[in-house]
Amino acid sequence: MTSVLIVDDHSIFRSGLRAELDAGLTVVGEAASVDEAVARIEALRPSVVLLDVHLPGGAGGGGAEVLTRSAGLLESVRFLALSVSDSAEDVVGVIRAGARGYITKGSSGAEVSAAVVAVASGDAVFSPRLAGFVLDAFGAVAGERAERSDELDRLSAREQEVMRLIARGFSYKEVASELFISIKTVETHVSAVLRKLQLSSRHELTVWAQQRKLL
Amino acid sequence: MTTASARPPLLRPRRALLGGVSVALAVHLRWPVRVVRIAFVCLVFAGGAGILFYLWLWALTPLEASADGVAPVSRRTPVAALLAALAAGFVVAEFVVSADGRYTAVNLALLATIALAGSAVAWTLTMDGSDPTRSARYGTVVRTAATVVLLLAGLVVLLSRPSAYNAVLGVLAIVAAAGVLLAPRIVTLWTDLMTERSARIRQEQRAEIAAHLHDSVLQTLALIQTRAGASSEVARIARAQERELRDWLFAEDVPSAADLATELREIAAIIELDYAVRIEVVTAGAPVVASAALVGAAREAMLNAARHAGGEVSVYVETTAGAIDVFVRDRGPGVDLATLPDDRLGIRESIIGRMTRAGGAATVGPGTGPGTEVHLHLEAARD
Repeated sequence: MTSVLIVDDHSIFRSGLRAELDAGLTVVGEAASVDEAVARIEALRPSVVLLDVHLPGGAGGGGAEVLTRSAGLLESVRFLALSVSDSAEDVVGVIRAGARGYITKGSSGAEVSAAVVAVASGDAVFSPRLAGFVLDAFGAVAGERAERSDELDRLSAREQEVMRLIARGFSYKEVASELFISIKTVETHVSAVLRKLQLSSRHELTVWAQQRKLL
Repeated sequence: MTTASARPPLLRPRRALLGGVSVALAVHLRWPVRVVRIAFVCLVFAGGAGILFYLWLWALTPLEASADGVAPVSRRTPVAALLAALAAGFVVAEFVVSADGRYTAVNLALLATIALAGSAVAWTLTMDGSDPTRSARYGTVVRTAATVVLLLAGLVVLLSRPSAYNAVLGVLAIVAAAGVLLAPRIVTLWTDLMTERSARIRQEQRAEIAAHLHDSVLQTLALIQTRAGASSEVARIARAQERELRDWLFAEDVPSAADLATELREIAAIIELDYAVRIEVVTAGAPVVASAALVGAAREAMLNAARHAGGEVSVYVETTAGAIDVFVRDRGPGVDLATLPDDRLGIRESIIGRMTRAGGAATVGPGTGPGTEVHLHLEAARD
């Protein structure tokens, strides 16, 4: 049983999402503001928090603020960001603050459920748009490539391939069979990219972070 | 009563000799313009009443409305040049009276010079600035003349009799001369500052509206899409509406219309309105100018996907320094080129043929898993 906390300031959206989630997921609570969300996460310890990027309350930091204030729980509580848009500005901020993935609000209930399950099992959820942004931000399009595996500011050749296929609309399963690797390996690559996205100090990423006042 | 209401309104014309007051009054009173002008000149001798009356009417009479609203006002009298000439006249008078030793008159002449030269400069900067019949060169000439006049006036005062009072006045004249030289720069700086400020206020307002709509309308549109099912009619309308609103809200971020990604997004939006399909356009790399062949082939590929597959369609555009790649992927029944009837021109002609003619390549085929993927490749143009 995966417990889910829905954080969104629109009650219609919360109830809509609650009704659409798969039966395998239990919604343990809802929160409508930054402060409420932080308190509920602390009290309920859900496996996954569905977190709206634009959230009122707190210091005005929105979803990213919830993440920074719940930083101690990131090991046990996984965050999936929900955004009305999938523009890079919206998304990269929450990813860098610790979210394991993001999904747009236009996604269907089945898509959200699948993403929640993926995040709960420790995987990262990348949309095609985010994959495109990652390729751009890490200079993959310009031909930059990591030589060592511990390099944080560039992607390895395999990671680039995976990101490209995700950007083309491939599911993890399709990426796996296209590259003749296992789904687990694809997930490992995506998680590695997510880690780089969170830890890298590349200029393109720090600019986003600064604009969202995350540093 | 009827005669009063039948009179033409009191309005100053936009093309005038000086202020357009005489013409306005003449039209309003139905007198000949010459009579009005003579009346003004006669009134000047009645203790300057004519001048005061003229200025009063000038200030209070509205300008004639123009067709496009912002037609400039042009004046035939070179007022600035006349003022500068008058200032020069006072310098000569100042020199004459200082030779006579009448120092009070010298000071009065100096003050008149400063006032007139200052007015001339102010006139070139404000009134003539918006007048298309006055060139920038004319303004520079008048301002240079005003500078010379002021410097001369200051020197005459300083040399005429060394007193503290005169020294102050003389220095004042020279400082004014320096001010004249700097005046256009200061005016430009000031107008720039004002423009920048109003632009910033507008932007702030826009951001506020954007934030509000983002929190309310866009959320609702997203909710409609979720609840109505991704490819239903209602969801498509909501999605089109959301896209339009977003384009309007974040208009500054949108690259030029010739950009390939923008064009593909627009095509996607149009196709989405006609077919039960959701097209996601993802881009990576720097924006490039779209070539007609590539856009045409991509449009055809997207149309095919919408027509024969529907559902979710992914478009990925990658632009590197050497080439442009466009992938259009659907999750439909797939297509086999070998078994495709010859009369189906869509893929063979509009996609493959078009790309080949443009010096690129197109491959159509079932990728991994279900569906079809069209890959368009075009080498960057070499100069």
